[in-house]
Amino acid sequence: MSDTLLIDLHVQYIRNLGNNKDDLSYHMTAHRLINGVYWGLTALCIMKHKEALDAQETIEYVMSCWDDEAGAFGPHPRHDAHILSTLSAIQILATHDALARLNATRVVDFVLNLQQPSGVFAGDAFGETDTRFLYCAVSALSLLGALDRLDRERTVSYLASCRNFDGGFGRVAGAESHAAQVWVCTAALAILDRLDVVDVPTLGWWLAERQLPNGGLNGRPEKLEDVCYSHWVLSSMAILNKLTWIDSSALTRFILSAQDPEGGGIADRPGDMADIFHTCFGVAGLSLLGYPGLDDLDPVYCMPASLIERMGLKTGWKALPRREG
Amino acid sequence: MHGVRRARETREVRTARRERERAMLSTYLALTDDILSRKKNKDWSRDAFDLTTQLLSTHPSVTNPEFYTVWNYRRHILTNGIFPRSSPEEIKELLNDDLAMTAKVLKVHPKVYWIWNHRRWCLEHIPDSPDYANNQAWRRSAWERELFIVEKMLDADSRNFLAWDYRRYVLASMPVRRSEKAEIAYTTKKIEANFSNFSAWHQRTKVLSSLWASGEVDRTLSLHKEFELVQNAMFTLPEDQSAWLYHRWLIGSGDNKAILEREINLIQTLLDEQPDSKWCMESLVTYKRLLLDNHLPTGSQEKTTAINQCRTLLGQLEEIDPMRRQRYWEMGAQLKV
Repeated sequence: MSDTLLIDLHVQYIRNLGNNKDDLSYHMTAHRLINGVYWGLTALCIMKHKEALDAQETIEYVMSCWDDEAGAFGPHPRHDAHILSTLSAIQILATHDALARLNATRVVDFVLNLQQPSGVFAGDAFGETDTRFLYCAVSALSLLGALDRLDRERTVSYLASCRNFDGGFGRVAGAESHAAQVWVCTAALAILDRLDVVDVPTLGWWLAERQLPNGGLNGRPEKLEDVCYSHWVLSSMAILNKLTWIDSSALTRFILSAQDPEGGGIADRPGDMADIFHTCFGVAGLSLLGYPGLDDLDPVYCMPASLIERMGLKTGWKALPRREG
Repeated sequence: MHGVRRARETREVRTARRERERAMLSTYLALTDDILSRKKNKDWSRDAFDLTTQLLSTHPSVTNPEFYTVWNYRRHILTNGIFPRSSPEEIKELLNDDLAMTAKVLKVHPKVYWIWNHRRWCLEHIPDSPDYANNQAWRRSAWERELFIVEKMLDADSRNFLAWDYRRYVLASMPVRRSEKAEIAYTTKKIEANFSNFSAWHQRTKVLSSLWASGEVDRTLSLHKEFELVQNAMFTLPEDQSAWLYHRWLIGSGDNKAILEREINLIQTLLDEQPDSKWCMESLVTYKRLLLDNHLPTGSQEKTTAINQCRTLLGQLEEIDPMRRQRYWEMGAQLKV
């Protein structure tokens, strides 16, 4: 078990993911490949190794995922467009300063057409709705400078209808609070400048109670810890300026203990197989906790903070101060 | 990837695995290529439909029910190719087959959103029966079977939030609605089987709110029974968050002084028995603050006493729950005489 972040190993791990094209699992997970590229790129940026993946190659890959029939991006060439993969595409292009490559008019239309009468968004033409998709829509429109075309009132009123007595938010109206849904809802409200919808003391309490005696965070009461909540819970707390309400050293130790000290990458919990999703969210959590030597993460967009600030999109979140190495 | 233990793979093991996987990989790539090419050519044939069945569920070595593009294609084949030349009975049979297939797949992949979505789509596309009188029975049996299946899923994992969400959707969509009182009985069963099942407590907050709002259940009378149920859970498992959260929902904004005082006394009794109980202390602070804010006159001796009690409890909480020390400290600093 390592008590430091094994940056070189993680960079190598992410770089190698693109060389696994002979592995069955690479192809079996093609339906979320573009998300994987976004997670990898974001983790690299936070670890200050953006150059580890070739920018041009990445941009061309994203463009190869364009679904011309739908006017948005799929997760891999020949797959159908979806709002999840479309947001990842926008995030990757924005990170590489290549937003000019996409047909913003068509993407914005794709996104806006997914809004339902209740204010929630569907993920694609088949109509599954989820506050995750609402976040994707709000974040995508914001990154594309098209928030003025959103029906804000309906969007916010749907978010408000998902709020529960415990301060949290669920997938849809009526659903149980879940830390990942709490993040998408609070982050969307932060982008829309409507954090007044959040009951901050109650939600701050609920989020603080996600920390377990081993330092890790769970996503709902009486569930197991998992590294990915280091992003869902911490980013929500950063948005509410409540990061001091948990034990940051214990959580830092937990995230570091879930690293694979030989192959690189971070797993859901110690001793498990690492993957790119948990690697990204583990590194994101460490950045918010002020881990030395990392770059700042913007918890609202889950992208490099310097980039979001340059784009003029920074909101009022607060991370812990960066510690000296 | 969740809950998969790490196994160190040497170069030899990796080569051997890839060798084994090579045949599977080429089968998988050939099958997906065939399907995606047919999709591009708008092939709405039965052959294409059968290929999607293989990939999503029945192939002996390379099924992938997460490949949502293939689910999408399957639905396009049905609506554009197969339904137009089928009778309502045949369409119903096709959809029943898909429901049976996805039920099997869900058992292995209970948290794959795309499978739940496909079931929803099937249910929403059950056609009208050609025999008008039969219409109601036709739909009713499909939705009742759906409720049965989702309850089976919740028997296997009582916290599966996709299943709970889906259950709420089924309850709201059934042609003959189940009574909300029956839903209260369902949550009672789930809670009594496991007090830690917060998903069931949560569902109870939603159903009771609705019953109170409609006047079908008298709030005051039912509150009494709810407190009894939750107290049983609190006294049985005082370290479990689920019951305390539900208790907080019952207290709400604390507008009823008598209930607040009664519950404070009761929790104090539990704390006397379990002097290190964090949830007793945390709840006492919350409820005493509600008492302070809503019911105690400014400047009264009662108020000063309650504030001092909160300060003492917050000090103890800082000691026994140091992970959240800062929050308790801030709460203490906010208490004003």
